[in-house]
Amino acid sequence: MSTQAAQGPTRPQSRTRPARKDRKGSAVDRSLNWIDDRLGVSKAGRTFMDKIFPDHWSFMLGEIALYSFVVLVATGIFLTLYYIPSSKEVIYHGSYLPLKGRKMSEAYLSTVNLSLKVRFGLVMRQAHHWAADVFVGAIAVHMCRVFFTGAFRRPRELNWAVGVTLLTLAIVNGFIGYSLPGDLISGTGLRIMFSIILSIPLIGTYLAFFLFGGNYPGNGIIIPRLFIIHVLIVPAIIAALIGAHLFLLVRQKHTQFAGPGRREDNVVGSPMWPNFMLKTTGFQAMVAAVLLGLGAFAQINPIWQFGPYVPYKVSYAVQPDWYMAWLDGALRIMPSWEFAGFGHTIPLEVTLPAVVLPGLTFGLFYAWPFLEARFTGDYLPHHILDRPRDRPRRTGLGAGILAFYFVLFGASSTDVLANYLHVSLNAVLWSFRVLVFVVPVIVGFLAYEISKELAALPDSGKRKRAMIVERTPQGEYLAEPAEPRPGDGTEELEPEPVPVHMPVAELVGSGSLGDETGTEAGPAGVRQVER
Amino acid sequence: MVDHEELARPWTLPPDDPRLQPYAKNPARAEKVIAACFIFAILCLAAFGASYWQAASERVMGGFLAVGLFALGFGIAAWGKYLTPRGPFEEPRHILHGTQLEQEAFQAAVVERAEVVIGRRPFLIKLLAMAGGITAVVMAFPLLRSLGPLPGKSLFHTPWRKGSRVVTASGRAITVDDLEVGGILTVFPEQAPGSAVAQTLLIRVATEPIVTQPGRETWGPAGYLAFSKVCTHAGCPVTLYEEQFQQLLCPCHQSLFDIYDGAVPVFGPAPRPLPQLPLMVDDQGYLRAQADYDQPIGPGFWERTTT
Amino acid sequence: MKRFSFSRSKRSFDGDGRDGSSRAHRARRTRRQKSSSSLVLYRLLPMAVVVAVVAVGFLSAGTATKASASTPKGSTHSKGSGSSAAADPSSSVTHEPFPIKGSSGYLPSEPGSAGPEEFGLQPGENGAPKSGYPTITFKNANVKEGYALFQANCASCHGPDAAGTEIAPNLQGLGAATIDFWVSTGRMPLANADIQAAIKPRRLDPAQTHDVVAWVTSLDPGGPGVPLVDLSHASLAQGQSLFTLNCAGCHTITGAGDALSGGAFAPTLHIATPRQVAEAIRTGPGNMPRFGPGNLSTQQVDDIVAYVTGPIQHPDNPGGFGLGGIGPVAEGFVALLIGVGGLMLIGYWIGDRT
Repeated sequence: MSTQAAQGPTRPQSRTRPARKDRKGSAVDRSLNWIDDRLGVSKAGRTFMDKIFPDHWSFMLGEIALYSFVVLVATGIFLTLYYIPSSKEVIYHGSYLPLKGRKMSEAYLSTVNLSLKVRFGLVMRQAHHWAADVFVGAIAVHMCRVFFTGAFRRPRELNWAVGVTLLTLAIVNGFIGYSLPGDLISGTGLRIMFSIILSIPLIGTYLAFFLFGGNYPGNGIIIPRLFIIHVLIVPAIIAALIGAHLFLLVRQKHTQFAGPGRREDNVVGSPMWPNFMLKTTGFQAMVAAVLLGLGAFAQINPIWQFGPYVPYKVSYAVQPDWYMAWLDGALRIMPSWEFAGFGHTIPLEVTLPAVVLPGLTFGLFYAWPFLEARFTGDYLPHHILDRPRDRPRRTGLGAGILAFYFVLFGASSTDVLANYLHVSLNAVLWSFRVLVFVVPVIVGFLAYEISKELAALPDSGKRKRAMIVERTPQGEYLAEPAEPRPGDGTEELEPEPVPVHMPVAELVGSGSLGDETGTEAGPAGVRQVER
Repeated sequence: MVDHEELARPWTLPPDDPRLQPYAKNPARAEKVIAACFIFAILCLAAFGASYWQAASERVMGGFLAVGLFALGFGIAAWGKYLTPRGPFEEPRHILHGTQLEQEAFQAAVVERAEVVIGRRPFLIKLLAMAGGITAVVMAFPLLRSLGPLPGKSLFHTPWRKGSRVVTASGRAITVDDLEVGGILTVFPEQAPGSAVAQTLLIRVATEPIVTQPGRETWGPAGYLAFSKVCTHAGCPVTLYEEQFQQLLCPCHQSLFDIYDGAVPVFGPAPRPLPQLPLMVDDQGYLRAQADYDQPIGPGFWERTTT
Repeated sequence: MKRFSFSRSKRSFDGDGRDGSSRAHRARRTRRQKSSSSLVLYRLLPMAVVVAVVAVGFLSAGTATKASASTPKGSTHSKGSGSSAAADPSSSVTHEPFPIKGSSGYLPSEPGSAGPEEFGLQPGENGAPKSGYPTITFKNANVKEGYALFQANCASCHGPDAAGTEIAPNLQGLGAATIDFWVSTGRMPLANADIQAAIKPRRLDPAQTHDVVAWVTSLDPGGPGVPLVDLSHASLAQGQSLFTLNCAGCHTITGAGDALSGGAFAPTLHIATPRQVAEAIRTGPGNMPRFGPGNLSTQQVDDIVAYVTGPIQHPDNPGGFGLGGIGPVAEGFVALLIGVGGLMLIGYWIGDRT
């Protein structure tokens, strides 16, 4: 393979090491040498700097999740400086009148204080919450990209499994974080969680009692326990798995879409340094900016309005955060099928939607790469991605499964929908009981048919070029492609290994790169590619 | 040894190679825009610092920081996108697995050396497995068992006792005259006001005694009915008393209970009626419980026997 | 002692000033018609949430036809549905304990048409059964005018003597607070027979309302009187605590309201005047339970009223836009559409180079 690259066509001339007069001069050079002396990193280091990232917008989705996690850690560290994980009963003496003199848990009091008293605390708390919502959302979108393009196929099954684990942990930690403030709504969520654990046959009662330190609401230990899970155990696992995720990405190299010069045995795109590093650093700053902007301008979870959690108080219109909403929706539309007999009770109306359904869901996710390989018989390694339309069965199935969770997500707001549509609550609930089966079938079938139709079109996805129809004097009709419009075709150079030196003859102004319409012959090695 | 791959990697390309040109059609203009972004970002970030110092509102502080970071990030990303060599560049993708010889050697190293350990000393390996197993089991004791008490029978009863006075969360005892018809109140046994498991919804639906189910003839004196407030589905407090329909609605998953029929669920996911607390009125007019609930309250669990 | 197996519409008169069967009449009424009131801007954000699943509306077409018994807010409200508070003695002794930031569409405006009124603190006047809490009477109300207004606006359903008909309940003995609540919130006179009367711009101005109240209560002085609301010593902290225990279960923690079973709903609290809140607590209109003086003291009702007309109606929202006060549903859409969606657009700009 190494010789193959050397034999590529139209190779530029100078590939010999040029003389460098300043070779021993700079402090940076000396430090790099110092490091190489001790760690031996120069070869691997250059390979890392030359590492190629394919350019496609959909490859940026995982970065949204990564950088949301960075924001989560940063804002989370800020929050831990003020949050007190304690159920101890204290009295609020702060400035918010509706809580003044009220008894509440220390956790709730510290959360109110860090929201209303600590300078910049509210933006940090809200940015943390928004970042959690976006984190899970970005993971989900990234996972959809990986799924529909077949990026999970051999050799990336392990990385897919790591990703599914990350999704699970993100959801779990999001829910735990939601429970920490000790406000009325989060306490209700914990109460439901206790019931869900309780519903597990055989061991549920023991698990629930062990976790909560007794029958609900427990002995006050649940908040400190959730805290350490939320700020240490799960984030540490997430960080380690993100490391593994990225290590596998580097080791296996990124997938790429088919295109000119793109083969199974190469990666074409931009080098790590400087292109990708600049872009990704900028993206990190912009992700942080969007999350902080949401934290500053969009109020989320205003816990001071909710009041402290009291087990016999509740608010209507209680929903969990969106990534738990599909479970809540499943709980709502599940019929009341409790099994009772043989001296035991299995509350299937809770166990099925809240324990079995997520188990099946994530089990299916883990197993998918192996299931698909088994059904298609395709065990070969793949580095060139599918377009979703090229795999109608996978696309249809995936769209149907996605639709199933979307309907469950919608079902978690039956009361809100009934209120705003002015429809009977009962009618909304029954609609969802039907929709949850009907919609996935329709969506899956439509996605399958559309994919098949698109895949059958030879030019699908490419921009149409106008045709000029001429009638000859003899009455014959001729169809010819029209002159390309700007942007119709674009230059695509042959890919080249990254050179060590990048001498740039700075050419100011346009026109130096050849005509953008692609009508002129470009420099050597340029070929016309239709979009 | 000659590193062919290293030789294949070029040291440089001619300066006029199109791959080295920036992506921007007009690099000078792109540079100006990026510079403007950075200047704007510097101003905004400085303004954030000033607004923090001056204790401006959260929105002002967050706004400056967000806008400043966005401008900074936009500038950096635009730099990376428009002013760096446009490429495309490539690198080879190596086959990950080793040669057949390497694979065989690896397999042999693992399997045959295992034979040295397992195959020749079966007795030791059994002992080792036992030791490992007992470690796992005994470690589970402190890791699990210490976490909380055993459930025992605690899910089967509540603090309600025979003769418990009905009190509010603040401990005020309720007399038969306190509620008007159509009134509700969250009540507790006097020995456990505020208890999460004993929370009970007291409803007055009439002035004369009410019977909701056969066998509950004396449970609803003076039109008072008391139901466990813990939903039999997922344990939420059932607070929505629809006075017109005489139904209780759970706010979490919208289970609906018919009050006059002993709070049997008529809609939604709840599987069982809300347990009813038998009430009585004492000589001084105070409401009291005749007994504890006749069944475990709240959501279902494995040990719950059928009733 | 009897078993309650019979239909709910057969509930007997409970002797407490309330006609049980009349309430059941309302429950039985299931004629459903389309209400004329329109959606207002306030609803647009949550409606966006709704659009995604609008198919629900089609599948439940049978009940959907009676949709949009919407509760006008903001602009429609300023026509005077809440105007009584400004002319109300309870507001003259009210100091607003909660700092209201900025102007709000929910603030009642003075219609100007109704002249100054006189009120008196008259618990248990005229030998009427005591309400058990301080009440007010409309001193300058004109009973004769009230009779005329009743005949013109109410008698077609409730009968000329307010004794009720097949389609409408007996009003005698329901109490001044009940009549005042239903008329002053615009629910009565009823425009459309629906599962539940909707708040709408009031047809009778405050003075006319008082006339009607005076005439109806002159027929039977029983029932709960119009509560005197005095917020000068109200505690917002107690109000919040009582609100979460007694009100948030139906009206939600932000007072936005939500759906009940069978097409009924707990209305929004954002446009209620102090007196209307107190009247609703004391009389339990519609599906709402009733909180008598043995349940909530006068002070406790005042606390709740102060919390509802303060932080609930004028939330501080230091964290930014309140997103309609409907919690994670709206938050999820913002996170996914603006957060993830916006960042995907940025990623598209950064990543796309072909």
